[in-house]
Amino acid sequence: MLTLIARRTLLALAMILAASALTFALIAAAPGNVAALIAERTAGPSASAELVQSIADDLGLNDPLPVRYGRWLSDSVAGDFGGSLRTGKPILEEFAERAPVTGLLLVCGGAIALIMSLTIGMLGAISNGGKIDSLLRALSLAGASTPNFFVAALLVMLFSVTLGWLPAFAGSSAASWIMPCLTIALFPCSVLSRVVRVNLQEIMSRPFATTGFAMGYTRLGVLTREALPNIAVPYLTTFGAQFTLMIIGSIVVETVFAMKGIGAFFIEAIRFRDFISMQATLLSFIMFFVFVNLFVDIICLLIDPRIRRQSNA
Amino acid sequence: MNKLKKEPLFKVKDLVIDLYTEQVSVRAVDSVNLEVNAGEILAVVGESGSGKTVMTLGPLGLLPEGVSVDIRGQSQCSGQDLLNKPARELAKLRGENFGIIFQDPISALNPMKKVGPQLASQAVRLRGVSKQQGKEIAIELLQRTGIPDPEDRYNRYPHEMSGGMLQRVMIALALVGNPKILIADEPITALDATVQAQILELLKDIQCRENIAIILITHDISVVAQMADQVAVLYAGRIAEYGTMEDVLTRPVHPYTKGLLSSVPDLRSKRGENASGPAGITGSPPDQSSLLPGCRFVERCPVAQTFCSKFRPPLEVLPHLSQRHFVACPVAVESTIEQMEGEAYEQ
Ligand SMILES: Nc1ncnc2c1ncn2[C@@H]1O[C@H](COP(=O)(O)OP(=O)(O)OP(=O)(O)O)[C@@H](O)[C@H]1O
Ligand SMILES: [Mg+2]
Repeated sequence: MLTLIARRTLLALAMILAASALTFALIAAAPGNVAALIAERTAGPSASAELVQSIADDLGLNDPLPVRYGRWLSDSVAGDFGGSLRTGKPILEEFAERAPVTGLLLVCGGAIALIMSLTIGMLGAISNGGKIDSLLRALSLAGASTPNFFVAALLVMLFSVTLGWLPAFAGSSAASWIMPCLTIALFPCSVLSRVVRVNLQEIMSRPFATTGFAMGYTRLGVLTREALPNIAVPYLTTFGAQFTLMIIGSIVVETVFAMKGIGAFFIEAIRFRDFISMQATLLSFIMFFVFVNLFVDIICLLIDPRIRRQSNA
Repeated sequence: MNKLKKEPLFKVKDLVIDLYTEQVSVRAVDSVNLEVNAGEILAVVGESGSGKTVMTLGPLGLLPEGVSVDIRGQSQCSGQDLLNKPARELAKLRGENFGIIFQDPISALNPMKKVGPQLASQAVRLRGVSKQQGKEIAIELLQRTGIPDPEDRYNRYPHEMSGGMLQRVMIALALVGNPKILIADEPITALDATVQAQILELLKDIQCRENIAIILITHDISVVAQMADQVAVLYAGRIAEYGTMEDVLTRPVHPYTKGLLSSVPDLRSKRGENASGPAGITGSPPDQSSLLPGCRFVERCPVAQTFCSKFRPPLEVLPHLSQRHFVACPVAVESTIEQMEGEAYEQ
């Protein structure tokens, strides 16, 4: 069990290394010269070649790529992501300001997706081929195939423009968070409710479900007592994957609803060719991906007694 | 004689069960009549696909999902009608009156639940006892079903126990609600030979001590000989022969029963008979999705007559003393009666 966790953790660290090296290489290969950009911002469009050269020397941009990667990674791990080319502030400071926005968006979106998908999946399983089941299946399909920005636009048109119930831009009021959270939750919720429904159905045809009926439970009783605990592992695995994908969703949602989160920060960095911020954001995304999935993996190991008890067997 | 008049504990009458899936519709059970009394073991035998499982579990609403089921006829447990019952009431009745044991205990137990606490929670639910008492009952039941060191096994998950131990757990689980009827659907097929004998012994012991009726579904004639009071031989959803174990095993009448028994040589030789029936049965059971009028066995039958494929053979009583031996084959019944009369004449 512990060796299993240790192995997963090592694998996760290796993945972070590999993915960060790849993004570093890609961004280094991207057109545009950081030194020239900085010179342009400080001395105007007529910056001399010497100035560019000295800035590049200062930043160590002329060193070989592996050396630069090593330096960047060790600085980043120490929390020093460098300064934003756009705002001039340390990127860590930017992150500290913006992380709560994105964090809240992900947590609320994740919670909505969790509660709604379990409810919808259960309702489908209870209805089992009935009208409600078909309706929910169609809705999930629609939800999974509608892009975020389109959902956001529809919601804004309905609730802000037509009805005037909710503000179109996220601010400090709780109401202004409703639409961003719903938008970001829609896709994972649609996927997850299918996962719940399909896995419940599969488990209801297993012999131990029949044992549940034989013990005198109704269908609802068997669903909640026998089937639901058994979908935990597939559900959590998909939930982890969907939760990490929400960080991609946050890029769109934060931009559409003018929220000052990390997703929006990333878009701004791209727009201003702020390579240093882009690298830092991508690294944080990668770490988020890998750690959430590692966390879910470990929880799944702990949940399933067949794996958890392997060490005492 | 008294037994006949008394209302049986469990009975099905004119039971017809049709199964529909998207591909096929099957008449899995076709006008079956059966009775089980308290403290009696009824063995249901027949080939794979003959409808043993559907017939016993169907009336209880225990058929797997994904099939639509159409049940007609009657099915009663201590006078209560099982069909046409709302799902909630039927579930309650299942829990209170029936205990069910399946073929493969590993897949029949929830892999996420420890065996002991699961037993305990059922004791709390079905017997209305406290949690502490529930645990005591659970351990007692584990002990009772022959599980060594029950306190230790209490906290095991199914995957941490052997097949034989798990089948004992299944039996304990089936007994938690103090059932009147135990349904055992091929309870030993998936187990090792040595464990098989122990499980059968345990079932027999339960039946004797607690006066529980057992419906024992099996392929194995030697199990029937060892365990059963009554035997029902099922062929393609219909009863071919039905009677006491002695009658059916020592005086088989239906050509299908004879065929079944002839594949078990030691039983025949014990009775000192030479193999007069067919040596095993050739061919395979008919396709139950087509409903032809005549006898279902006709294609494989060694004594078939032309009319056999035209009319459904009725279940006829044989004139034994017991009046409890039924056979659905007029040809065989007639020749048996002739033979019996001949023997009586010789004497
Ligand atoms: N889930 C199902 N879907 C479709 N048909 C089924 C299903 N279960 C049973 N049947 C059909 O019903 C008939 C009776 O099946 P049943 O399972 O009762 O046979 P059985 O005598 O219990 O066989 P076995 O010895 O293999 O358990 C068979 O013809 C089978 O094809
Ligand atoms: Mg069966």
